[in-house]
Amino acid sequence: MATQQDTNRGSAVRHRHRVEGPQKHVVAFIFSIVLTLIAFAAVAAGGVNSSFTIILLVVMAVLQVIIQLAYWMHMKDKGHMIPIIFMAGGFFVAFTAVITALYWVWW
Amino acid sequence: MSAPHPEQVTSALPHEPEKATLEGRNKVLAFWLFLGGESVLFGTLFATFLALRNQVADGPTANELFKLPTVAAATFILLVSSLTSVFAIQAMHKGNRKLLQIWLAITVVLGLGFLGLEITEFYEYVNHEKYGMTTSAFSSAFYTLVGFHGAHVAFGVLWISMLIGQLSKKGLTVVTAPKVYVSAMYWHFIDVVWVFIFTVVYLLGKVG
Amino acid sequence: MAHAHSVKRHKGLMDWLTTVDHKKIGILYLLAGAFFFGIGGIEALMIRWQLIKPLNDFVTAQQFNELITMHGTTMIFLGVMPIIFALMNAVVPLQIGARDVAFPFLNSLGFWTFLFGGILLNLSWVMGGAPDAGWTAYTPLSTVAYSGTHGVDFYTIGLQIAGLGTLIGGINFLATIITMRAPGMSFMRMPMFTWTIFITSAIILFAFPAITVGLVLLSFDRILGANFFEVGQGGSPVLWEHIFWIFGHPEVYILILPAFGVISEVIPTFARKRLFGYSSMVFATILIAFLGFMVWAHHMFTTGMGPVANALFSISTMLIAVPTGIKIFNWLFTLWGGQIRFTAANLYATGFIPTFVMGGVTGVMLAAAPADYQFHDTYFVVAHFHYVIVGGLVLGIFSGLHYWWPKMFGRILNETIGKIAFWFFIIGFHLTFFVQHFLGLLGMQRRIFTYLPNQGFDTLNLVSTVGAFLMGVGVLIFLYNVVITSMRPADAANDPWEDGRTLEWSIPSPPPEYNFKQTPLVRGIDAYWKEKMAGHTEMTPAEPVGDIHMPSASILPFVMSVGIFIAGLGFMYHYYWIVAGGLGILFVCMAIRSLYDDKGWHIHPEDQVETNRKGVKA
Repeated sequence: MATQQDTNRGSAVRHRHRVEGPQKHVVAFIFSIVLTLIAFAAVAAGGVNSSFTIILLVVMAVLQVIIQLAYWMHMKDKGHMIPIIFMAGGFFVAFTAVITALYWVWW
Repeated sequence: MSAPHPEQVTSALPHEPEKATLEGRNKVLAFWLFLGGESVLFGTLFATFLALRNQVADGPTANELFKLPTVAAATFILLVSSLTSVFAIQAMHKGNRKLLQIWLAITVVLGLGFLGLEITEFYEYVNHEKYGMTTSAFSSAFYTLVGFHGAHVAFGVLWISMLIGQLSKKGLTVVTAPKVYVSAMYWHFIDVVWVFIFTVVYLLGKVG
Repeated sequence: MAHAHSVKRHKGLMDWLTTVDHKKIGILYLLAGAFFFGIGGIEALMIRWQLIKPLNDFVTAQQFNELITMHGTTMIFLGVMPIIFALMNAVVPLQIGARDVAFPFLNSLGFWTFLFGGILLNLSWVMGGAPDAGWTAYTPLSTVAYSGTHGVDFYTIGLQIAGLGTLIGGINFLATIITMRAPGMSFMRMPMFTWTIFITSAIILFAFPAITVGLVLLSFDRILGANFFEVGQGGSPVLWEHIFWIFGHPEVYILILPAFGVISEVIPTFARKRLFGYSSMVFATILIAFLGFMVWAHHMFTTGMGPVANALFSISTMLIAVPTGIKIFNWLFTLWGGQIRFTAANLYATGFIPTFVMGGVTGVMLAAAPADYQFHDTYFVVAHFHYVIVGGLVLGIFSGLHYWWPKMFGRILNETIGKIAFWFFIIGFHLTFFVQHFLGLLGMQRRIFTYLPNQGFDTLNLVSTVGAFLMGVGVLIFLYNVVITSMRPADAANDPWEDGRTLEWSIPSPPPEYNFKQTPLVRGIDAYWKEKMAGHTEMTPAEPVGDIHMPSASILPFVMSVGIFIAGLGFMYHYYWIVAGGLGILFVCMAIRSLYDDKGWHIHPEDQVETNRKGVKA
């Protein structure tokens, strides 16, 4: 964040980025597709214990979101501390809202 | 402020042009903050949907309504479009403007395809299933949540289309690069939201 | 680099409509906030006049409902929040040694959307009736069935637009504080006011989207016939209560944290001592913000969530007393042994401490769920939240206004008149609200438009009304002070209080357009004080004198806000082509902004004034 970083980044940093090709992102994509397929298949198959299916679906979604945030949105990269803090904050408040809706609206 | 004024840096485009100026870094950071707020926005919409998911009144239930093939197709399209926008950013980092524009254009086309599917789906529900905004609390929550996401996709399509044109006119510079980068972040976020929508709304709706 | 772009400089009204200078936007916020504060104050006086005696008929029941709704809504969203934004615009960039905020254009956009949202909400008075469902707009009271006029539509749309402006401002200040700090100013060297604004902006970021959704749901119910809160179609009124308070309780901390920040600046300056326990203050602020998101259901103890939920929210609410207590003790220890000067600003600050403690203590009483069943919806609650909002926030605002007035306008407010205003205000305040505790315990419900004689309410209500008018007199004296001060020459020194500790006091009052001729180098907490103690009269620069790049003024934010305003009005009356037109204006402006790069302009060294033209004493 510091303003002093204006000069072009060092060649070492450049080099690290150079080697990063599309492979990682294609792998992330394949993971996403697989997780999606598992989720759809679990529902399409039917007949499975429904509370097991619910847990499975939620886990698949969370895994996929983590992969996409980390790789496609570069949250795993350096210098993303502040984005991580604020995204986590947003997800935390969203999570409390969801918990509320599930447990404290009807009784 | 002490950042170089955009004109200074045009001679050679740095490797990550979106972060070359203070303005660019500010834009990326503020967009992350905005996405934090958007998470709460969609979180509250999801909460609303979850609270009202079984409140169908006399209308159809989720299980009667949703057809998995359409949802699967929409999901696949949006996932691929997220990958193409990753490729767009990689093209940008290589300084290849033409390739960048091509990937962005593919992203836009996929976004339009997604919108087409969603509009068809809504049209079906309203005209054939008698399932509109006013049918039940469940229907209101469904249209609001999925519609908000759809509106985000539509806005993204307009935005990225405009950026493609801008790239032709201005070229890839430290001014245009942050805009492209931020629009890609936006597009990924839309995809993340959709992951939760197909899980929570459609798949869990089918499970019951 | 030294080639200048030709720049059109606007004059007069056009300058104010197009400005992107954070100092001018701060003044705009102050003017707009003061205007709405005045409206809210008049509404308050009308409420108190109605309640001065039993069975009064000054207003009807319907008018009374509109008055209390608009009083709460106006004061919170359009009165005090903009004044907080005024202070943060005027002060935060200076405190962190920046030349402007991260996004000057967005700063202007945030102001104009807020203003047009506020205007839309208040148009309801002349367009068929104000909202009448309370500032919380609980469903089903706020649904079409029970509130048939367009009043609540003005509430949902007006707050939606104003809230958009607030959210934009919040993101802008987060980015500004994260990226625009001067060299050497680490997070743990930031002045306390900047810290509280940072945390407040974060709360805005996470809380406002929730009310955005809530207002969307309510307006869809009312305008599009959706069923979120229609019990007959499966909707749930409890859902509204949750969404409203998931936003609403953090909103309380959005309001009070900046006041904490002001007090944490004023007390060290006038006690001539460093703020006691700086890092514990930072920690307490963050903790309050975090806990603030986990207590919302204490507004809903009587809704019937059951003993488990009530117990959980009781405990989390009481926990907030811990970080707040840390702050109170830190202020007391800062005063302890200091060379205290009771200027008007410091009077307000020291008046704040005991008053806010009283509000906090009744807060802990209300946090006990079983007791809350007795207090709920009585004047005890009214007394409690006015003690924290008026006794806390408004005293903090007045303190901050007195303190930073010379920095904003170059003139020190008259101290004697300021002190007279303080005594009128604080005595009036305690007269008004202290007795309301007892009214509540005696059983007087809030939001009733009149009461029968001889229930023990008569005298206390009379006292309360007298107090309210004393507060009004205090505010008028303050306004008089502003008027006579503005007629005096602008001759305030850089450091008019002579004991200024933070960066804003190292530059002229008011600062030049670019704030700092040279970005200062920060060497510790209370950066300016540290330099003074080292025998310097000004900050050590971190850069040579050179051209200063400035953003261009723009009319687009104003036009965009007009577009949103038009779209909102159209939506309310089902004219969807007007909505399309308004949104069209907005989108065209956004496209223009994106297509034409803002190259800005430069101020050359020869046009920069000498920063240290007035003497500085250590």
